[in-house]
Amino acid sequence: MIKKIKASKSEKLILIFLILLSITTFSAYFLIKNECLFIKNIDVSNLSLKNKNNIVILNVPCGNVIIELYPKISPNGVRRFKTLIKSGAYDNIAFHRVIKNKLVQAGDLEYGKKESINYGKIGTGKSGLGNIKSEIDNEFKYVAGSIGLARTFKNDTEDSQFFIILQDEPLFEGEYTPLGNVLYGLEALNKIKHQRNSEYVLRPDFINSLKMFN
Amino acid sequence: MNLLRAVLLLIVFNTPIKANSIYNIIKIPNLEIYKIDTKNKLKYFYAARPFRLGTQKNIVCSNPNKKDLEIKYKIIYKNLSRYSYDYLKKINLKYIVMCENLSISELYTAGIADNIMKTLILDIKFNEDYFERVIHHEVFHMIYLQYKEIFSDEEWTKFNNSEFKYAECSTCTKKIGLKKNNETKGFFTEYSQSTASEDMAEVYSHMIYLKRSEIKQISKLDPILNNKISYIESKIKQIDSSFTF
Repeated sequence: MIKKIKASKSEKLILIFLILLSITTFSAYFLIKNECLFIKNIDVSNLSLKNKNNIVILNVPCGNVIIELYPKISPNGVRRFKTLIKSGAYDNIAFHRVIKNKLVQAGDLEYGKKESINYGKIGTGKSGLGNIKSEIDNEFKYVAGSIGLARTFKNDTEDSQFFIILQDEPLFEGEYTPLGNVLYGLEALNKIKHQRNSEYVLRPDFINSLKMFN
Repeated sequence: MNLLRAVLLLIVFNTPIKANSIYNIIKIPNLEIYKIDTKNKLKYFYAARPFRLGTQKNIVCSNPNKKDLEIKYKIIYKNLSRYSYDYLKKINLKYIVMCENLSISELYTAGIADNIMKTLILDIKFNEDYFERVIHHEVFHMIYLQYKEIFSDEEWTKFNNSEFKYAECSTCTKKIGLKKNNETKGFFTEYSQSTASEDMAEVYSHMIYLKRSEIKQISKLDPILNNKISYIESKIKQIDSSFTF
């Protein structure tokens, strides 16, 4: 006759602990996997925005980022940026240079396209519209969320690449052509994929779309 | 050995990237901000640790101690404050790097001008007697690099006596004295005789450093220096008509 053995109290506790542990592990796996879980997606229709002609909606993997452009500060830079946005040139373009908590950079229209990304040359591509002159004389404070045009070491080499900074950068003032500031959704940019040991990202995140509000 | 290599590689690949705005902008490592909110928008950095530069890594400079830095910063700031933002913009000077024992290929130097990076590196331990004037000497090198097309070594050389010849390069001569000659004879200092561009820098720095009356007096007594002073004055006016010595 097989004798039924009753589980002791401590054995029951261990069982409960194991069950709880597996539930926690299982749910944590999904929570961690969904990097956008705690990012609030900005619904543009709920926002009351001024200067609608200078409002840009950048859609990234974790949602919308609302940007206001400043044409009075950098007329040529903003004009170029708007031209490229209106042509849809930035859609599906990589965030090829990302420094955690510092900046995200995108806009290589030649080598950063999703369907034909070129890791060997990314960051050196052009728009085909030519370079424009740096506009660095007007007062502009580079704070977290400021957006500027990227360039080579030399001034007057701005084209299509732009960066958005994730922390204040006073040294950028007078160095890079400012375009505007993020009004809402900066958190979504903090989630753009970065690489621990390099500024350049392998299998990067892409801009889903970049559109003018109006 | 292989294990050691593997460990080193692992460390390299796992080292998180540290974003350094100063390095990204002027390509000099190990710098920290000293002062950036200045009137003429010059930004001052200092070497927090020694650094090496150049393709051959032949430019070397060490980190200064805080006390020296504090003293020398005041002198540098005072001297560079005479330049307006507009002037500095025209000559492409924006960043000042302060460090100690600056050398190029093991030859000590007071400063290095890099107009591409808009940077002037200054050795704060350079000879105290000439430190202030030398700041302007280095500023001139910045101007000379930025406006190569308007300064002519050939034209300049003609101001000297026909039998005089400059050295092949500034380091190919033993004439390195910076003390102002009592009898100028066409040259402010011994070092003026090294090369045409060094001579120009010496004239410029004396024009900035000496009193206007002293320069006038020298011009009266020395016709060669008179020509050189007029040349520098006219070229600088060409760059910035509002600049006054």
